[in-house]
Amino acid sequence: MRSLADRLATLPRPRPAAQPVDHAAARERADRLARWFGARLDVQEGGAAVVVERRIRLPSDVASRLATLAPGSYFDTETTGLSTGAGTVVFLSGTGRLLGDELVVRQLLLPDYPHERALLRLLAADLAERPRLVTYNGRGFDLPLLAARLTVNGLFREQAGLPAQHDDLLPVARRLFRRPLGGARLATIEAGVLGVRRGLDCPGSEVPLRYFSYLRGSSPDVLADVLDHNLQDVVSVALLEGEVVRLRAGGWVHADVLDRRGMAVELMRCGAVDDAIGLLEDASHAATDAGEVVALRRLATRLLLAGGEVERAEALWTSGTRRASLDAATAWIEVARIRERHRGDLHGAMEAAAAASRVLDLAFALGRGGGMREVGKVRLRVEARLRRLRRWTAAAERRAAAQRRRVSPRGPGGPPLPTWPGRLAS
Amino acid sequence: MLTAPPGSADEAIAALLASPELAPLVAAHRVIEPRAPRHAPWPAGVEPRLVDALRGRGIEAPYTHQAAAYGAAAAGRNVVVVTPTASGKTLCYNLPVLGAVAADDAARALYLFPTKALAADQLVELRGLADAAGLGLKSHTYDGDTPPNVRSVVRAAGQVVITNPDMLHSAILPHHTKWFKLFENLRFVVIDELHTYRGLFGSHVANVVRRLRRICAHYGADPVFICASATIANPRELAERIVEAPVELIDDNGAPSGRRHVLVINPPVANEQLGVRGSALLTGQRLAERLIRGGVQTIAFARSRTAVEVLTSYLRETFAPPPGHPHTIRGYRGGYLPNERNEIERGLRDGRVRGVVATNALELGIDIGSLDAAISIGYPGTIASTWQQMGRAGRRTGTSLSALVCSSAPIDQFLAAHPEYLFYSSPEHGLVNPDNLHVLLNHLRASSFELPVPAGERFGIDETPMLLDVLQEDGWIRRAEDDRYYWSHENFPASDFSLRSGAPENVVIVDTTGERHRVLGEVDLFAAPLLVHEKAIYIHQGVQYHVDRLDWDERKAFVTRTDVDYYTDADLGITLKVLEVFDEADVPPAGKRQRGEVMVAWKVTMFKKLKYHTHENVGWGSISLPETEMHTTATWLVPPAELVNRYDRDTLDGALIGLARVARTTGALLLMCDPRDLGVLAQVQAPFTGRPTLYLYDAVPGGVGLTERLFGLVDELIRVCREAVDSCACADGCPACVGPAIEVGPRGKAVVSELLAGMG
Repeated sequence: MRSLADRLATLPRPRPAAQPVDHAAARERADRLARWFGARLDVQEGGAAVVVERRIRLPSDVASRLATLAPGSYFDTETTGLSTGAGTVVFLSGTGRLLGDELVVRQLLLPDYPHERALLRLLAADLAERPRLVTYNGRGFDLPLLAARLTVNGLFREQAGLPAQHDDLLPVARRLFRRPLGGARLATIEAGVLGVRRGLDCPGSEVPLRYFSYLRGSSPDVLADVLDHNLQDVVSVALLEGEVVRLRAGGWVHADVLDRRGMAVELMRCGAVDDAIGLLEDASHAATDAGEVVALRRLATRLLLAGGEVERAEALWTSGTRRASLDAATAWIEVARIRERHRGDLHGAMEAAAAASRVLDLAFALGRGGGMREVGKVRLRVEARLRRLRRWTAAAERRAAAQRRRVSPRGPGGPPLPTWPGRLAS
Repeated sequence: MLTAPPGSADEAIAALLASPELAPLVAAHRVIEPRAPRHAPWPAGVEPRLVDALRGRGIEAPYTHQAAAYGAAAAGRNVVVVTPTASGKTLCYNLPVLGAVAADDAARALYLFPTKALAADQLVELRGLADAAGLGLKSHTYDGDTPPNVRSVVRAAGQVVITNPDMLHSAILPHHTKWFKLFENLRFVVIDELHTYRGLFGSHVANVVRRLRRICAHYGADPVFICASATIANPRELAERIVEAPVELIDDNGAPSGRRHVLVINPPVANEQLGVRGSALLTGQRLAERLIRGGVQTIAFARSRTAVEVLTSYLRETFAPPPGHPHTIRGYRGGYLPNERNEIERGLRDGRVRGVVATNALELGIDIGSLDAAISIGYPGTIASTWQQMGRAGRRTGTSLSALVCSSAPIDQFLAAHPEYLFYSSPEHGLVNPDNLHVLLNHLRASSFELPVPAGERFGIDETPMLLDVLQEDGWIRRAEDDRYYWSHENFPASDFSLRSGAPENVVIVDTTGERHRVLGEVDLFAAPLLVHEKAIYIHQGVQYHVDRLDWDERKAFVTRTDVDYYTDADLGITLKVLEVFDEADVPPAGKRQRGEVMVAWKVTMFKKLKYHTHENVGWGSISLPETEMHTTATWLVPPAELVNRYDRDTLDGALIGLARVARTTGALLLMCDPRDLGVLAQVQAPFTGRPTLYLYDAVPGGVGLTERLFGLVDELIRVCREAVDSCACADGCPACVGPAIEVGPRGKAVVSELLAGMG
């Protein structure tokens, strides 16, 4: 009978490249790591973490803008993998806080897995000092992973102490920059908006391998680039928040690289609805792409109608109805919709819908409508609306006539008649 | 003409049994007499609201097995409940689970079912009972069909989470931190359809349970396991191997049942010389037609997906609905999409569907209610599955009919000749080998991702430390200074392997007939070369599709609708290489037997076009697809040289084929396993032994221990084979013994008999 080891040797296994195994002693290794980076070793119950502290001077306008916000922790982690499963570990965290014109970045580096609890305790205590977390994709990655690590280690009190407010800049950056830049990875934003140029950066995909290599006995030097990478991430998050604050405060007027529609949404989310509407109105006049114009107007209309500014909403569309074209027909449909839904003006709506129908005929005759398919699509919408409006006006008239003739059949105590004509009316 | 009024099933069955055409085909007819129910009083401690709810449904008192299961589970003892289909098994676990949740809001339970369809079904049942009792239960299924926004709610607040082992393996355990509320408070783990967890799949599931226990221990929980199984020979042993703890057996069935006729039907002999019988499919079709026409709601089980589709087409021709009306005959097999399956299941329950043709996907306890008749076309492979299929027919009152229609396959013919085997022998053993090193090593990897492994910890086997060192050498894990092994790789190990087969992916079948391409269904990677090779006719819901292209790398088959009068059948070529001999016995003069590790490779090289109805060969084509390989264990027999030297090569070649055939049948019987789990290969000049050799191998990677057992049974195997051959009434070989003479040669049967005499 073969021994188990012999049999194991014949097993076909997916074999990653074998790496040398290190048996260096625990404390010695942690000390050596700290010495290598000229850093301090913070020894805690349950292990130790290397604490690297660096200060980065921010442009003074950025610093002063950030100073207007609630104090935040600019936060990013480096991990042993990309899944948020229970086997992925945070081996390096970077936390930046604003101190005058400087960003003070504290990095916590894990000497080896058994020290994890110490790193997590230090990290949680650090984050708990400020009321706000600021990240780039923290909602999707860093924070679920941090929660998983705290759970595995039973640090539930630490978890409860994390700041309640978390501003993830990824969705904001997506709104503002993804369309003009063609992507919203942090590196793309850095290059296109923040003016950050990374030197010989360690690619993100290599980060876990560097740490495994260190664990298996390589010099801590392999981690130097990872520390720099993480530092730059933290600084970029702070710079990005400064830029977002600037844009929100009116910087959008002169911004070159900016998605206007996204900016309007951003302004709206911040409560600056008037700014958002103004931006959209300007942009819809300036835009050249017809689809974009419609999208901008739609958004503006939504905001205006929500604020009860029906006139302005209607004016936004009537301005686009002068030239006989498919877009003009679309604009007339919108006018009809506004009149019907928000003014309760069925006759006005009928007029607008009829105008849409006329414009469409004209545009088609002039050959401005595009293909049969596009015209046909708008035609269907116009006809449907007209039919419905005709039915409803007819019903409303019948009801008005009945009202004139007699008292309500349900009597005065009965439920009110439906204010909205239903399909039953026809 | 479609259907007679309901309620006439009794008469239709009586009329069929009395009919003179049927009589000559009946190899056996048993009547299972009705059973009266046996009740027990409600055990102490059962939640009163549940008792009220059940009384409201007309359940005044539990059956004896339900009361016993509740008692044991509520007292914290693991149980396995073994009773027939439709005996109220689900209440055995729903009662204690709902009781625990009613008493403590925080209590949690995890239900495991082998398929998503079963899980969805169970959710409806569980919620129905909880609602009736006013419990406000938070329960949901968690599988590939669960919408993302529901998932996070289930993770945090689901009191009963219903899922499958695959999902537990790949989505729940590796993300246990998101589930800590579940694991912290886990009181019960329910494993239903336990008998499906055998062989390789069962070996995987046993390891998933090992991982589950590690996580529970980490969060301080120690759940009670409640298993339920169809009838197998060793339910308790199987449960104890999977759960790895003592389990109490509950098999005292108190549920009532109506009268049932069980028939073994053997199609008439079609060709005396060849010993070939008429087609089982055709006989099954006639039987089904007759029953359906008489208003008997009938299910027919066919063994292959192709057979399902062929039979569906035939029955649809017979029972064509008026134009514009839906078909009353439906096909049902793996590979249909979920909503298609749900619709069929609904149709069965509400009676719109009068006949179903299924593969064993429906064999499991999907709640379609009971039907009036079940026809198994071809022996499904094991006694347990036969009874499970037959159990699909059976009302609590009234008469039902179950029939096994035997095919020409040897094991079918053996059963036709010895039906007592079906009625009196104990059913198969559920064999698992959780310590299969391929399997165990993968799960140890996955488990070390979930939680670091202390150097002294035992994961299933005592050799765990050695395995950990192997994983460390390979760079997956690393032993840190605290003497624990930590996952040290950027991959996510649970996505590296699948529980179901060696094949991680399915081949998607894309219909390109219309303007828009649509996904028709899926087939697993091992079946793909057989079913969707280029130029194959793939049949889905009775509609024929021509496979235009199989993109093997992308795992996609592109098909277009077609209408031809033939179907295709692919040929499988197998090669075997011995890697290592573990054990050998030289038994002069009977020859040599060896056991060891082998690599089996198979490849589909050509296909035949067979005409519908007549099944005559109307053409063929070649297939070029990559070979599929598998490491496994085998036992092989080398007859003595002086014996084989008596025959010329052709004679020997034919005889070895016959020997392989009879050895597989009897081997499967001796091992009490499905013949498909036991591979055979006869080589007239085997490269390893240099002599004629008969290989019997475990048909799953790594093996589940079948051939190891068989090595100790070789003498008995040869004796039983010899009995089977010598006692067979045929002249020159027939499907029931060594196979027909055209396959084994004119002297085939005699030579097999001589070989067996010499080897015994």
